[in-house]
Parts: sequence; structure tokens; C-alpha cells
Amino acid sequence: MKEREIELLSPAGSFESMQAAINAGANAIYFGVEQLNMRTRSSNSFEINDLKEISGICKKNNIKCYITLNTVMYEHDMQLLLSILQEVKKQAIDAVIAADFAVIQYCKQLQIPLHVSTQANVSNIEAVQFFAQFSDVIVLARELTLKQVEHISKEIKRRNIRGVSGDLIKIELFVHGALCMAISGKCYLSLHTQNAAANRGACIQNCRRSYTVKDTETNEELVVENEYIMSPKDLSTVDILDQLIYSGVDVLKIEGRSKGADYVHEVTACYREAIDAVFANNYTEEKKTNWLERLSKVYNRGFWEGYYLGRKLGEWTNIPGSNATERKIYLGKSTNYYSKIKVGEFLIEAGNIKEGDELMVIGPAIGMAKETMNTLIVNGEKAELAAKGDKITFPFPTKLTGHDKLYKIVKP
Amino acid sequence: MAKIIHYRDKCIGCGVCFEMQPEIWRMSKKDGKATLLRGIEKKSIHILPLHLSIETLTIEVAKACPVKIIKIV
Repeated sequence: MKEREIELLSPAGSFESMQAAINAGANAIYFGVEQLNMRTRSSNSFEINDLKEISGICKKNNIKCYITLNTVMYEHDMQLLLSILQEVKKQAIDAVIAADFAVIQYCKQLQIPLHVSTQANVSNIEAVQFFAQFSDVIVLARELTLKQVEHISKEIKRRNIRGVSGDLIKIELFVHGALCMAISGKCYLSLHTQNAAANRGACIQNCRRSYTVKDTETNEELVVENEYIMSPKDLSTVDILDQLIYSGVDVLKIEGRSKGADYVHEVTACYREAIDAVFANNYTEEKKTNWLERLSKVYNRGFWEGYYLGRKLGEWTNIPGSNATERKIYLGKSTNYYSKIKVGEFLIEAGNIKEGDELMVIGPAIGMAKETMNTLIVNGEKAELAAKGDKITFPFPTKLTGHDKLYKIVKP
Repeated sequence: MAKIIHYRDKCIGCGVCFEMQPEIWRMSKKDGKATLLRGIEKKSIHILPLHLSIETLTIEVAKACPVKIIKIV
């Protein structure tokens, strides 16, 4: 296939995930700050003061960074919103992702590039034409089929619909991660049951639990094939990515700002390889199997390809949590790094390690890195087992900062 | 006397406390979070003695807070 520019956009809910995305080959990252983003409850959001560092790291690594301001906005949010946008402008964050008209209007006034969030549920070319007055990228509704996406991308070229920057408007699709049963994430389940507004980022995920259906007159429970009747499997398109790219999409987005650096690294790496393989004409079945295997190792509820191939929502998960074939168990934290000999020292705070164990290190400066414990050195001497309170050392290529955590990878 | 404790840092600014009990809550125009009126701040935790006359309603408000950052002790 002829090379054209495809942007791989990865989630960054923390500095660790951001570095993992950069290492694994993302072209851009997106993140949220304060309480005005859709992952307020599930992840420790960045703060306004972090924008400078985020922008600096991304510019240094030559990738773009986008800030999500995609919640419902209330009157009392306007001052905070404005303060965030002024800082966005000052720190030259590349774009804002939003759906609320207040944010759209402020971005226009402040001349900040805007991407229209999937929350806006853009599902047809007229809506694209409308939002093109304010934006440069439009994240299409995740309920569209690839035929519909293809039609929209062809029409953009035919009608020559250009965004604020003067370039043709770009379209973005979700390629991987959690889906929910609500249309474009507009869900009121949490609000009804727990007063927790999902559209303010406080979703408590009650759709992920199991349910029964009961006849209240007879008290008889109806037989439901799958009790997780509101929890769809996760989206994965790594094995139909060529079709997505042919449909004319410009930006491929990975969901998961509340997921860890190991998830961001693995998923970003698989999709990076898949995009490159499509353009190099070696997008093979063997590779697809390998990517799916690797994607199954990290957090997932089982996979289906979403609505893109025209299937109706019928792929329900059968578990409350993750189906991942690998888990990470916390062991300890970094305490020292010997730069000259490139050896890291860790203090074990939980669990134990023996030779041959697969280890994972997650840190703000290194993202995620995997190591195999070849020779176990405990408190300066060779040993068979390291346990709580021990200090272990092993060769590690990247400088540790003292904020790095060590995990053991196990099969559940 | 019982006290209301508000862990303000974690507020997501949904405004339910202010809607239910405007006597002691305000939505800050500055940062969009709820503020416990006349509360005394200690390390960004805000504390106010709970008067008996508003106890029932305040318990309801604490229950309604989606991020459970209003406690009565």
C-alpha cells in the first residue's frame, strides 16, 4: 500500500504511561488534567502545573500531545476551563479534545487547535462539515461501520472540507480498548444508581457487573445466557487494521488513560508494528496471531472488532475484570543506579524473586521495560531467593530515578 | 459535636452537594470545586462542626457525593 501519514495516538494517564507510549512508537499522546476529563475517578489526573513538563517531554521526543477537556461543563467550571486553556496556549500543547460547545468556543477565541471528541457522536458528513469550522481533527462515533467511515473520508476530499488550519479535515477512529454499551459514552447508569456522573468522569462501571432478570410477580428468575448482559468485550482491530487504513482514516487512537504503562507499551507497540506492516506489504496472518497473543497478555475483557464490520453489539464479556494472560505482582522500588556499570538496585518490599523470573520495571523516565532475572544478586552476594527487605542488583540499560517500581510477571 | 470533613482535592465539581444543601456548600468560580462554607482548612482538608439541625440532610449529601469525599465523624 502507498505510504501515507497515519498518526498512532496513545493514552497517557501518567508520566510512566507517557514514556511507555513514546518508547513503543506512538506519534502522539493524549491526557487529562484536573477534574475536567472523562477519567477523573479512575486515574490520578495530571494537574495544570504538569502541562509544561508534558509539553517539554513530547517536544523533545518529537511527538504531539493533546489535552482532553471532554466532560460536560457546568457554569462553575468556566474559570478553571479558561485557566487550563490559557496554560495550554502558553505551553503550546498541540490541541484540545472536546465536545462541549463552551470549550469549542473558547478554543476558537484563543486560537487553540481543536479536535472534536467522540463524545460529540459525529456520524455523518454534514456534522463533519459543521465541526470543520472549529476543528482540524474529528473523532468519529465509535458505532460507525467502515463503509460509513469510508464514505465520510471520500466526501471530505470530494467536498474539499478543510479545518481551521487550512488542511483537509482529518478523521480519527478508536482502534483498541474498552467499549461500553452506551452510544458514544453518553451513559447515565452510574448517575441513576450511585449519583456518579459518568459524563463528569465518575463512571463506576456498573455495566461491568453481572445481572439477573427477575419476574417481580412470581419472583422467578429468568435464564439469561450470560449474566454480564451490559458489558461488551474490548475493541481490537489489529487484525483488520488494513481495512481501517483503506477506509481513509488519518489518526488511530488507543483507549486507556486509566491503564498502566505496561498496557500502553504493549498495545502501542503492536499497533505501531501493524501500521508499519500494512505499508510495508507484509501484514501477514502469522503477525496478526502474534499481535493478538501479545495484546491478550495485558488487561482485556476478551476481544471483538467492534461495529466496524457491521456486526451488532453481541459480544459480551463473561468476566467482571480482565482476561489478561499475564499479571504483574508488585515487588519493590528502585533505590540506586550505578551509571558507570549500568546496574540498578531495588529494595524488595513484597513477594520474592528467584532466578529465571520475568521482571517488569515501570517508571516515569523509562516507561515500561522487561528483564529476565539471570543472575540473582542479593545484598551483594549471589543467592537463590530474594525476599522482603533484601536489596537486589541486576544490569539495567536505562538510568533509574528512584521513582521506579519493580514487578514480577506471572501467569494467572 | 460531630464534624463534616471535606476532602476537597478529590472533588470533581459535579455540584450535587450545592444543589442539595446550598446553606453550607458553594461551587468555587475559581477552580470549579465545591467549597464547605466557614470550613477550617488543614492541609487541603476542610472541617466544619456539624450542627444537629442539619445532620440528616448532611448525611444524605455525603451519601450523594459520587466520589465519597464528604465524611461525617
